[in-house]
Amino acid sequence: MLKIENLFAGYGKVQVLHGVSMEVPTGMLVTLIGSNGAGKTTTLRALSGMIKPESGSITLGGVEIGGLPSHAIARKGLAHSPEARRIFPTQSVFDNLLLGAFPRLTGARPKGDVQGDISKMFEIFPRLAERRAQLAGTLSGGEQQMLAMARALMLQPEVLLLDEPSMGLSPKLVEEVFVVIARLKSEKVTMLLVEQFAAAALEVADFGYVMENGRLTASGTAASLKVDPAVRAAYLGSAH
Amino acid sequence: MQYLPQLIASGISIGMIYAVVAFGYQLTFATSKTLNFGQGEALALGGLTGWSVTTWLIAHGIGVGVAYLLMIPIVLIFGMLQGAVVERLGVRQAIKTKSEAGWIMATIALGIIFKNLAENIWGRDALKFPSPLPEAALTFGSVRIQPMEIAIVIGALAMMLAVELFNRRSIFGKAVVATANDRDAAGLMGINTGLVIAFSYALSSMAAAFAGVLVAPITTAGVSSAAVLGLKAFAVAIIGGLSSGLGVIVGGLILGITETMTGYFISTGYKDVPGLVLLLLVLSFKPSGLFGKATIKKV
Ligand SMILES: Nc1ncnc2c1ncn2[C@@H]1O[C@H](COP(=O)(O)OP(=O)(O)OP(=O)(O)O)[C@@H](O)[C@H]1O
Ligand SMILES: [Mg+2]
Repeated sequence: MLKIENLFAGYGKVQVLHGVSMEVPTGMLVTLIGSNGAGKTTTLRALSGMIKPESGSITLGGVEIGGLPSHAIARKGLAHSPEARRIFPTQSVFDNLLLGAFPRLTGARPKGDVQGDISKMFEIFPRLAERRAQLAGTLSGGEQQMLAMARALMLQPEVLLLDEPSMGLSPKLVEEVFVVIARLKSEKVTMLLVEQFAAAALEVADFGYVMENGRLTASGTAASLKVDPAVRAAYLGSAH
Repeated sequence: MQYLPQLIASGISIGMIYAVVAFGYQLTFATSKTLNFGQGEALALGGLTGWSVTTWLIAHGIGVGVAYLLMIPIVLIFGMLQGAVVERLGVRQAIKTKSEAGWIMATIALGIIFKNLAENIWGRDALKFPSPLPEAALTFGSVRIQPMEIAIVIGALAMMLAVELFNRRSIFGKAVVATANDRDAAGLMGINTGLVIAFSYALSSMAAAFAGVLVAPITTAGVSSAAVLGLKAFAVAIIGGLSSGLGVIVGGLILGITETMTGYFISTGYKDVPGLVLLLLVLSFKPSGLFGKATIKKV
């Protein structure tokens, strides 16, 4: 569904990604793990058009999207729940969800049942249902994370990019977030999950990539990465 | 002191005009952190365009009241187009290259060009604008108010309310607010934020053009005072806060009333001073405005 070939990207003169190639097949949950500053967020930003790739190809469902502005990419069905959540603080929880469906409400994507999907988000994230009229900026960090995920899902995306949904959450909330991810996986939502929390990510994913200094250094099924000695030593906090 | 109610009443309508133009400053600041320093000229152009349309309609046998009402939508559209031109020529590139001074110089330059254009089309002299309402003042006790002054207050409030309702209720308005909150995140929602910024410039000039045809029947239409007016409305936007909708109304009224008081107790020759002094005071002591939170680090 999502295919990246030989992607180079960075910020101005700072080159971050040095030829990244990866694939997210339809209905699969793929995870991208790596240490701080490896380039995971940069990868997602290049995919969703928040930064322009310098070179390489990105295709979504066979259509080239590399270099398009982010609004055009979203309209083609790529949803991005960004690092640090980036919810709209002065708007209500409900309006944040409506904005997630902006391309559906304005004719750029099939409309479907927007109200029904909002109800579904409230069912998946009951904490949001209780706070539907509350301004998003007044939510707790965990609630904002759930809102960011729900907002991205409101696109009814072809592929969902999740950037560290566990960041800054209590262990209990991290668990809740991973339960939701597992549920989305069972509903065949195609996802690319960036995580620092590698053990949990590999537990739930089908396939994984490991990134170091802007290059992929390992890849394979999640099960094989979990037992790979190098991956275990570097990211799973155990050397045996 | 028996003139106090009269001075306040007279200050309110001009204060509302400042408020509408200041509201225009807020609109573009919210989405792009930039301002159109040609807002005074946009107001003047709106007034002059309105004058041409109204006098043309009257010349074709339409009554002044109807002519005025028919003219309003035309001037609103004209204002939007004029604002879109300013965004396209003066602002878009500066935002793209993150140039901090670019848009300031460009919008001032465009204001001057529009002023020159207007002087060549309509001349330098102020034009008498046909009043759609009776010019005889109504008396309320000791206070005399022109019907048009009441129309200014109602029209100004209606316009600001309409924009607020659009922003809160419609999905496109919510997209504008989302862009103001976080431009990158709004892009991820499929919102064309470049278009939203162009639209906010269009709305901003539309507000100024509307203010121009509201005030012209009690003053006149012309470009001679455009720059001063733009600067005073900027003072109101700073007093009211560049990010607070209600603040500009309070700021506008403060300035409008202070001006009529200055005119009465000191001299009409110093009428422009309070606005500029207020601007200097607020900029030195409370850069975020009295009611707003955002600081204007780029001005
Ligand atoms: N806006 C920016 N401008 C310049 N350099 C940046 C910017 N954002 C990130 N970088 C640099 O790019 C590199 C990769 O950063 P990135 O955010 O992609 O890492 P990451 O893998 O997501 O890390 P983390 O797990 O800490 O979120 C880092 O060296 C970082 O300093
Ligand atoms: Mg990151």
